[in-house]
Amino acid sequence: MAANPPVIAARNVWKIFGKAPEAYLRSLPAGRSFDEIRADGYIAGVRDVSITVGRGEMLVIMGLSGSGKSTLVRCFSRLHDITGGTIEVDGTDIGSLSERALIDLRRSKMGMVFQSFGLLPHRTVLDNVAFPLEMRGQDRHARRERALEVIRLVGLEGREDYFPRELSGGQQQRVGIARSLAIEPDIWFLDEPFSALDPLIRREMQNEFLRLQKMLHKTIVFITHDFDEALRLADRIAIMKDGAIEQCATPDQIVLNPATEYVRKFTEDIDKARVVHAGTLADPALRAEGAAVDADASVHDLARLLIQDQRSTIPVERAGRPVGAIRRDEALGILVGAR
Amino acid sequence: MRINGSYDMKTSTTALFAAAIALVPLGAAAQDSDDPIVIPIHNWSSQIVMSNVVGQIFESMGNSVEYVTTDSQAVYESVRLGDVTLELEVWEGAFGASFRAAMEKGGIVDVGDHDAVTREDWWYPMWTKEACPGLPSWEALNDCAALFATAETGDKGRYLDGPVDWLKHGQERVEALGMDFVVVNAGSAAALWAEIGAAEADKRPVVVFNWTPNFAEAVWPGEFVEFPEWVDGCDKDPAVGPNPDALYDCGNPAKGYLKKAAWDGMAEKWPAAYAVLEKISFTNPQIAEMAKLVDVDEMEPEEAAEVWLEENQDVWSGWLN
Amino acid sequence: MAHLPAQTTQTARRRGALALTGAAGALMLLHYAGLLPAALHRLPPERVPDLAVWLDALFNFVKDDLGLLALTRWLTEPLQWMLDVTANLLFGKRRWPGIGPIPWTAIAAAATVLGYHLGGWKLAALAGGTFAWTALVGQWDIAMQTMSVLVIAAPAAFAIGLLLGIAAWKYAWIDRALKPILSVLQTLPFFTYLLPAVIFFKVGPTAGAVATTIYAIPPMILMTTLGLQKVSPEIVEAGQMSGCTRLQLLRHVYLPAARTEILVGINQVIMLCLAMVVLTAFIGMPGLGAKLLAMMGSFKLGRSFEIGVTIVLLAVTLDRMSKAWVARQPMHHERGTPFWRRHFALLAGLGLFVLFCIVAQFVDLAAEIGRRQSLSMGKEIDTAIKAFLNIGWVKATTGFLRAFLNVQVLIPFRNCLLWIPTPAFILLIAAFAWWLGGRRQAVIAGLFFALVALSGWWDRSVITLYSVISAVALAMLIGLPVAVLAARSARWSNRVLLICDTAQTFPSFVYLIPAIMLFGITDIAVIFSILIFAMVPLVRYTIEGLRTVPPEVMEAADMSGATRWQKLVKVQLPLALPTMAVGFNQAIMFAFFMVIIAAFIGTQDLGQELQRTLAGTDLGKNFVLGICVSLMALTFDLTILNWAAARKRQLGLG
Repeated sequence: MAANPPVIAARNVWKIFGKAPEAYLRSLPAGRSFDEIRADGYIAGVRDVSITVGRGEMLVIMGLSGSGKSTLVRCFSRLHDITGGTIEVDGTDIGSLSERALIDLRRSKMGMVFQSFGLLPHRTVLDNVAFPLEMRGQDRHARRERALEVIRLVGLEGREDYFPRELSGGQQQRVGIARSLAIEPDIWFLDEPFSALDPLIRREMQNEFLRLQKMLHKTIVFITHDFDEALRLADRIAIMKDGAIEQCATPDQIVLNPATEYVRKFTEDIDKARVVHAGTLADPALRAEGAAVDADASVHDLARLLIQDQRSTIPVERAGRPVGAIRRDEALGILVGAR
Repeated sequence: MRINGSYDMKTSTTALFAAAIALVPLGAAAQDSDDPIVIPIHNWSSQIVMSNVVGQIFESMGNSVEYVTTDSQAVYESVRLGDVTLELEVWEGAFGASFRAAMEKGGIVDVGDHDAVTREDWWYPMWTKEACPGLPSWEALNDCAALFATAETGDKGRYLDGPVDWLKHGQERVEALGMDFVVVNAGSAAALWAEIGAAEADKRPVVVFNWTPNFAEAVWPGEFVEFPEWVDGCDKDPAVGPNPDALYDCGNPAKGYLKKAAWDGMAEKWPAAYAVLEKISFTNPQIAEMAKLVDVDEMEPEEAAEVWLEENQDVWSGWLN
Repeated sequence: MAHLPAQTTQTARRRGALALTGAAGALMLLHYAGLLPAALHRLPPERVPDLAVWLDALFNFVKDDLGLLALTRWLTEPLQWMLDVTANLLFGKRRWPGIGPIPWTAIAAAATVLGYHLGGWKLAALAGGTFAWTALVGQWDIAMQTMSVLVIAAPAAFAIGLLLGIAAWKYAWIDRALKPILSVLQTLPFFTYLLPAVIFFKVGPTAGAVATTIYAIPPMILMTTLGLQKVSPEIVEAGQMSGCTRLQLLRHVYLPAARTEILVGINQVIMLCLAMVVLTAFIGMPGLGAKLLAMMGSFKLGRSFEIGVTIVLLAVTLDRMSKAWVARQPMHHERGTPFWRRHFALLAGLGLFVLFCIVAQFVDLAAEIGRRQSLSMGKEIDTAIKAFLNIGWVKATTGFLRAFLNVQVLIPFRNCLLWIPTPAFILLIAAFAWWLGGRRQAVIAGLFFALVALSGWWDRSVITLYSVISAVALAMLIGLPVAVLAARSARWSNRVLLICDTAQTFPSFVYLIPAIMLFGITDIAVIFSILIFAMVPLVRYTIEGLRTVPPEVMEAADMSGATRWQKLVKVQLPLALPTMAVGFNQAIMFAFFMVIIAAFIGTQDLGQELQRTLAGTDLGKNFVLGICVSLMALTFDLTILNWAAARKRQLGLG
């Protein structure tokens, strides 16, 4: 991952709401807490965040409401102008872009999905999906072709002429997804896309989303307040609180080594065996004999083997190449929830 | 020239038109402008019909005419500005003040009087006379004052005067002649009619401000109260009139003027029409007839004007020469 | 948390109001004892500044020296041209393009189809019925004269209002500048618009169109701003992420998303345009209004009544059609639906329109219904009205009201108000404002009324206020119980609201005559005619306030064992009060509007003086009087709306 330059690189990003945020930020002493800033009459939406997103990576930003996760993603797309720090997208500082250049960037590289869908109520499904194409001035025929293509992709064919009001919530979000994909963006922002949906539909949409991502390999920033969802989808999770990132790591690492008490609370009720993979547990320095297990298998997947196999260490391999070995009692500990 | 016996409306207008063309003096001075002559229309029928009559005469001369409805007081400002070309009924009593004020500001000219005279004074519908047989003398009226009492006036009678802006000095007269009446001002002509109309149902005696010529004569027969006769100076010199110490101790002049007025640019822009306007003059019976066609016969004003022109060719044909 | 400060401000307010009332009381006592110097009772006439002359000079400066007249006259030309085109199409005025008039059957058919398209058979019947009635009763021509101006004025008001609304939403300073201007425009009496409209825009349809447009703009601005503010931020962000430029964002995202509010604005524009039909007849608006005035001038009650009905029918039709348009949601057609099915209404409308245009060439009756074929019942209605007024109990009631209400209540009340010394009166008004709105409001109220005193028209202003207060008080006495009863069921609410709509659009002039016939030229007739008008918003807002109390709150009250009466007094009324206050405020504004019109009955207030200035020779005085009315109305407007807004916030309803 490190070999490729990151698609999004945020350095010391601040977003402060209030009367004169820039002046306030300049005068701000280091280490001032969220509550102290609030006492000064300002709201710190994003506090000193530095983070990168690699190409093809899915970064999930997790946090409770008011934690600043939605603000941060809006800073990435410059729906909000940031108060301090820099954000680079593909090496360009987006804060320095002219309005025109920013619009061009959005028209060619970015797509976004919203929690309450953000559909235009007076337009049909087709016209909603074709909207970004229309904005960049594509001709009617071409945009219709492309819109139909993405509508098929999200499984809404036959509903092109419906109005949003005539669709269910899940269908509406499919329209939102289709719209965000219409321009074939490199970067895909999803702001709590499934939060407004019923649990059953949410599950279905998550599967659908994973299927799409497998085909499309976008760079994704995904916002959620649902830790399970984050674990399910993420390559890496960034957990936010009061505008700052508490911890940013892979799901396995977060579950195994929560950095703060706040993060640990989230992990408490999680069935870690389903999250932690053999690859993560494997000690590269360790070698073991016998049949190997796949690095991508979760501890839960290996439950039967872990209980029946008598070896104290079990080799792990990824794509046929050994990557180390796991200690059986450590894995069993995770399985029975001792750790 | 085609004159036939048919009274079909369209034919008769054509005939009218042909007659008019024949009558227009050849080689009339300068050419009238093509712009429409704008004639104002107010909310009483004689004026509306008269305006249509004059408008159709102008049209028969080849002018184009447009009518515009406007308030009868505010119209003088529009005449001054030239937005409205003329005004056919300037009543001495009701609009004299506005007209004079507009003359002072400039932009409006006096185009002479109609033959018709106007009278504005205390008036009662005929049924009142049954309750107070001494009428029309004002002393007799005063003796029956109690008949005209209302809940608000106590023992005194109520006299319903015209709107204050008509400056009728009813209050001053009541005081000068020592009458047992309270003066109440109506807000509009319509308000006066409503009071008479309400009184008509049970033949309640009323005495109100009224004027002639107007449509009310046809609907409610009635008479003016005879006050001490108007003498010049009655409104300026206390010595004049029966009460040596008071102004307004006589009735209004029984012969007020009815004027025509025009924008001061009319003579130049439409010389021929202006020349005709100077000659136009209607009499009281003619005006009453116009009002009757609309108020009693329920014609539309333009239609009434056509009928009137048809029936009174001898009156207006003279003006075109 | 917010409870405590609210409590303390309320005590502070009560204290301030009491202090002012006390001061006023002291002044009145002095006056009663005969100790008050005359100069403190009324401003001595020699101290009255000559505001009229200054305003006249200012007006002339703006008109001539700044060249406003030249500008407006230049603007009048294209307006005149447009009005001529519509006049030609609708009633055949001899102007370009010279193809009119469109036959009545064609317009009625097109309106019917449009009604069907928007709201099914019911609306189709209403639209078709209205136009057919208009034609059959012999008012087609004058109705079309009115429409020829409205079809220009309403879109103009829409376009200007929309642009100003967008500007006010975009730039806070425009919003701040517009608000006071709009308030003054809304409270300035109609007689003050009249002369400037005539001077600047030429007497005739042009002045009528301009006056109508100006009158109809404010709600359009308000609704546009409101709608744009309410657009969900996600939709906007979706637009931004779709790469919209600012203009694209406005055009494709903001405006369509604010559609509902904008359409409500259009509905308001249409209603206000129709409300002006009669009043603008004073400055040359042709058609229904002018005819109505002429009919009233010759005491033809029946015909004026019929014109009133036509105006109401037109208003109700346009109102229902525009409301149906608001409520209409786009529906998709199944794939493969043929073209003619997709556009069935459009094709049917066009087809019938063309068909009737052709038919009218051969059948005269389809083109025009003349006087002789018309079904006007003017004379019969005349007789009926007169017979009604002559019924024994009607006369007994009005006679009693006249003797009791007028002599025992109204006249003493008026004399009492006139007796109060000017400074005491101003203090009382300020105390009222302090009580409701706090110190700032009290200062504004005191200042406004002090200006009224300075104008030199104090007594007449007090009489104006007296009519307004009496009428609104009576309107509450009658209207509130009606509204509370009606609010109990949806069916009755709708019925009463329909009556409200009718009363509001029925031209107020038509009331004047029956009012006089019932009560004579007295204060009761004046107050009666104001009352009808002022009751409408009171009833409407009370019903709305009561019916929008959240159902869970009502259920909670039920489960607490509240009786019907307890629910009303303890739950519904307190929650509905802010909304009712808005209605109360509108009632006062309507009353100020109508009290001036009531000058046509015969009053001794500012309206009478305003009427006197219509000859145009005394513009300065006209402005002074107009401003007096506006200042008094604004005092109430600001105070009450302020209170209602604060109260709504407190209750968490806003």
